[in-house]
Amino acid sequence: MSAIVSVAGLGVAYRSGGREIPVVHDVSFDLAPGETLALVGESGSGKSTVAATLLGHLRYGSRLTGGTVRVDGQDVFALPARELRRLRGGTVAMIAQNAGQALTPSMRIGRQIAEAGGDVPVTELLEQVRLPRPGELARRYPHELSGGQQQRVAIAMAIATRPKVLVLDEPTTGLDVLTQRSVLDLVGSLRDELGLAAVLVSHDLGVVARMADEVCVLRSGRVVEAAPTRRLFAAPVDPYTRRLLASVPRLSDTGLALVGEDGTREVRPKRPVPDDAARSVDVRDVTIDYGSSRAVDGVSFQVRRGEVLALVGESGSGKSTLAWALAGLRAPSGGAMTHESGDLGGSARRRPLALRRKIQLVFQNADTSLNPRRSVGDAVRRPLRFFGAGGSRDEVASRARRLITDVRLDPDFADRLPAQLSGGQRQRIGIARALAGEPDVLIADEITTALDVSVQADVLRLLDDLRRERDLACLFISHDLAVVRGIADRVVVLRHGVVVEEGPTDAVFADPGHPYTRQLMAAALEPDPDAVAPAGVADAWADAAEAGAVWDELGGGHRVRRWRAADG
Amino acid sequence: MFTFIVRRVVAAFGTLLLSSVMVFLAVQALPGDVATQVLGKDATPDAVAALRKQMGLDQPAWERYFDWIKGALHGDFGTSLVTTKPVGSEVAQYLGNSAMIAVVTVLFAVTGSLVLGILAGLYRDRWPDHVISTVSLVGMSIPEFVVATLLVLAFSVTVPVLPAVVLYGPGAGFGQLLPAVWLPAASLAIVMAAYIVRMARTSVIDVMASEYVTTARLKGLSTWRVVTRHALPGALLPTLHVIALNVAWLIGGVAVVENVFNYPGIGKLLLTSVQNRDLPVIQAIALISAVVYVICNLAADLGSMALNPKLRTRGGRTR
Amino acid sequence: MSALKTPAPAPVPAPSARSGASGSAAARAWRTVRSSRPAAIGLAIVAVHLVIALLAPLLTPYHPTVGDASHALLGPGADHWAGTDQYGRDVLTRVVYGGRYALGVSVTATLITIALGTVLGCAAALRGGWLDDVLMRILDAVLSIPAILVLLVIVTALGTGSGVIVLAIGVICVPQVVRVVRGAALAVVPQDYVTAARARGESTWAILRREVLPNIIDVVCVEFAMRASWVVLLISSLSFLGFGADPPTPDWGLMVSENRTAITVVPMASLAPIIALATLVVGLNLAADGLSKAWGVDRIREGS
Repeated sequence: MSAIVSVAGLGVAYRSGGREIPVVHDVSFDLAPGETLALVGESGSGKSTVAATLLGHLRYGSRLTGGTVRVDGQDVFALPARELRRLRGGTVAMIAQNAGQALTPSMRIGRQIAEAGGDVPVTELLEQVRLPRPGELARRYPHELSGGQQQRVAIAMAIATRPKVLVLDEPTTGLDVLTQRSVLDLVGSLRDELGLAAVLVSHDLGVVARMADEVCVLRSGRVVEAAPTRRLFAAPVDPYTRRLLASVPRLSDTGLALVGEDGTREVRPKRPVPDDAARSVDVRDVTIDYGSSRAVDGVSFQVRRGEVLALVGESGSGKSTLAWALAGLRAPSGGAMTHESGDLGGSARRRPLALRRKIQLVFQNADTSLNPRRSVGDAVRRPLRFFGAGGSRDEVASRARRLITDVRLDPDFADRLPAQLSGGQRQRIGIARALAGEPDVLIADEITTALDVSVQADVLRLLDDLRRERDLACLFISHDLAVVRGIADRVVVLRHGVVVEEGPTDAVFADPGHPYTRQLMAAALEPDPDAVAPAGVADAWADAAEAGAVWDELGGGHRVRRWRAADG
Repeated sequence: MFTFIVRRVVAAFGTLLLSSVMVFLAVQALPGDVATQVLGKDATPDAVAALRKQMGLDQPAWERYFDWIKGALHGDFGTSLVTTKPVGSEVAQYLGNSAMIAVVTVLFAVTGSLVLGILAGLYRDRWPDHVISTVSLVGMSIPEFVVATLLVLAFSVTVPVLPAVVLYGPGAGFGQLLPAVWLPAASLAIVMAAYIVRMARTSVIDVMASEYVTTARLKGLSTWRVVTRHALPGALLPTLHVIALNVAWLIGGVAVVENVFNYPGIGKLLLTSVQNRDLPVIQAIALISAVVYVICNLAADLGSMALNPKLRTRGGRTR
Repeated sequence: MSALKTPAPAPVPAPSARSGASGSAAARAWRTVRSSRPAAIGLAIVAVHLVIALLAPLLTPYHPTVGDASHALLGPGADHWAGTDQYGRDVLTRVVYGGRYALGVSVTATLITIALGTVLGCAAALRGGWLDDVLMRILDAVLSIPAILVLLVIVTALGTGSGVIVLAIGVICVPQVVRVVRGAALAVVPQDYVTAARARGESTWAILRREVLPNIIDVVCVEFAMRASWVVLLISSLSFLGFGADPPTPDWGLMVSENRTAITVVPMASLAPIIALATLVVGLNLAADGLSKAWGVDRIREGS
């Protein structure tokens, strides 16, 4: 069968500040009709740039430096404008990363889909992407839809003209696990139904393992390894691929995976928390309101010294709100929060200095958590001086350097600006800044979400080391179950601001009691093409908790909020 | 959507109320007693006191403010200290003449600048953009009176086709004033257009770089369709407010330009009134300016609502 | 078990030499000027104006306000490069001295405006709530009355001294500056580093100075250049109308209004001040444009 997409020796360069920076070098691959090829790589690997060339698109300021891209026999970059439009409107279609921004805000959904062309009626397309009440939906504007619905609309728009090739650029990034799973299922079935060839761009090896037939691993704009999916996952050849694969946390890891330079993988068992460990933070029946809506509703948990407690949930579950309340940035409207040494009910400014320093927050986005106009050393020195832990200027400076070393960075980084650091390095500085107050509670709010998978592994390990060295109580907030499995001692699952299940990590993962927890686990994608997705777990259920009878105790601290099966 | 409109209208009235208080207080703060001024320095204290009573100046300030506002709502702005005619009708006459200039200016400046700004944005960093950007930079760097002077030099002195000065009073007819409208309007339009062109250009560039425009392009749509259907609504949003601000700016600009051409409009009246300390007239003009400003902004808000469905459907919660 | 005790990975070495981290504002500004041609040209023009204004007495042998009536209305010649006006004063001399007035008044006025506007704008953004609401309402009301009208009233009331004009303009322009600065600060306030400072319990003033100001200083600089150009235009308009500098002060706006009627006889008497005015404002606008582009400040957008 001849290839429907054929990329040969592709090179792209980007012009910046008078210099040309090559972003893609000599990339070649072929794609047969009906097959799915995944372009995999970390940020900056050029994978999205390559994908966009299939539609003859280059970003403003970019230039083709070599090679050809053939789609359905046509040389894309040699086509006259009119032919290129026909190609985009008929042969290849793209589903962009962020559907929320890819849909024109001032146009109704129906018109945007109809505009793409094709003979299929809009309502039929909307039905095809499993959207309810298509007739009504077509009259809505993009902002009136949820993220998952927007993504489905983008898919409907792409398949409107019944193209031969579908280009998917990180189609599920930014979506919740459950939504991601259903969107992927939809794409998979449409692909089979319509016999589409697909190019899938992703950083998520779980997504790739599930969707792709062939994988092409990119690094700094070059192909490092290309192989059929099964072979690549079973026996990666290139050291980079091996390391990449080894860095992906898995649901079966009973401890943190340590990844060697050559891609070997060892699971470090968790250090058990002693039974007599002091309760560092105690949260009881806390309720937090945002205006009239309730973000957190009667949540209780404790974190002991040396323990990692994971708060797990989708967006809107209230997990970050809880973190902010503990840090004193948001006042709870009910319940009590206490620390070993004082009450945490008040805002940060009202807490005594000695208490404030005990609880420190590390932020999700390392890019915005450091002041871009102040040196990294300054970011660490400020809390040292502010909390009065310093002494003289030189003492503060040397302590700051020591802290930077503690997070496994060269102390010479102190003189740099955040922009001169990589994302992972910035996140380490964020941790160093938090440690400057000598806290005994560290709140880590999705700290690895924005990081590449290999960097994530390093940061997780650092966090685990620090907690061992300093006997920190750690509140680890995450939506990623595999990450949680590796690092947390206990898990609290939140849904719409309510705890539905909690218990020791091993117990919860071995035998999830609540249907919601089961649903989350089933939706998590393992980096293994042979993983059988447990299907049909989305049983309907309803909350059955009553006053005085909220929990079903499963023993060993594992308990599940009462629920009952519901029909429909 | 309804609450949004109501909130905007209430806010507009609030602004207006506040500005009217400020205008009133500012004029009150002007040194010199009005009664003395009217009667001259040699007037007897009795005569001054009598006039003060007649003019209501012996009443407390807030009472006079409410009287003034009450009158203003009925179109009664008091009587001019100089001509002793009702301020309302006098201002209306001048305002009508200025409106001729304003309409021509807005018509040409807005349409012209939008077209040029959009062109510059679409041809970003190519020669049409360079030409348009440079010209608009120069346009916004030259004051109205200079533009007016240069235009006079060109079209009244070198090639005498249009009048350099108006020789008619405020009561001149439409036909008499019509030839005199073009040069003032052109002076204002050039300066005003410069600002709008720059705004339109920037927002077109922003929107053209957005993901949804890229998506529309990758759908295989024609450039014309991408620009008109997908890009322009978003690009016009921020431009609308700049247009509104500029239309409101016109009243100030008119003051300068009308004096260059001796055109009997509101700007000319303002200047004479300031020279003569004709307080009721100044107050009236200030209040009218504020009304124009508020109306323009309100119109821009409502316009953006028409362009942005988010504002329409979310009960106006803009965040 | 021993295998698990692998030593922690070696610290990541800091890359290369100590480049740029110590990027002081001055060094950064210099890099910007070198990289952006419009900014360089603009700043050069403004600098030339400054130098000429400062050295005015050295540059011309004539007196700016005293003329020789027997040499009135001369065209350009060897003695008077730009000719003389109706009172026989040397036009070029008056233009050169006029720069002193224009720059002196507008720079001082702009400094006042920017200082006041920055403080108010930051405070509004950081504190939010009712303070923000009330402030924005009041500023909107001030904006609703044309600047030139307010100026005219103030000047008639308090006289046309340059002190009065500086103060009046300082106050009138504050609303626009507040809008721009507030917009820029609002983008900074939700950043995590500000949140981190809040969680530490830092005072509002410390947050403003350490976290917010360094990140909006670009915007403030650009706003300064742009506001200065606007103020120069406003002052010259005022003078043109006869409410600014009193004759015989050498002022560009005033010169244009004095010599406009004789434009056919001695065009240079009007054109010279026009050229001076236009180049200064173009210079300021170019600088504002170039800097904003180089620093990624979208000066038009920030305001809305």
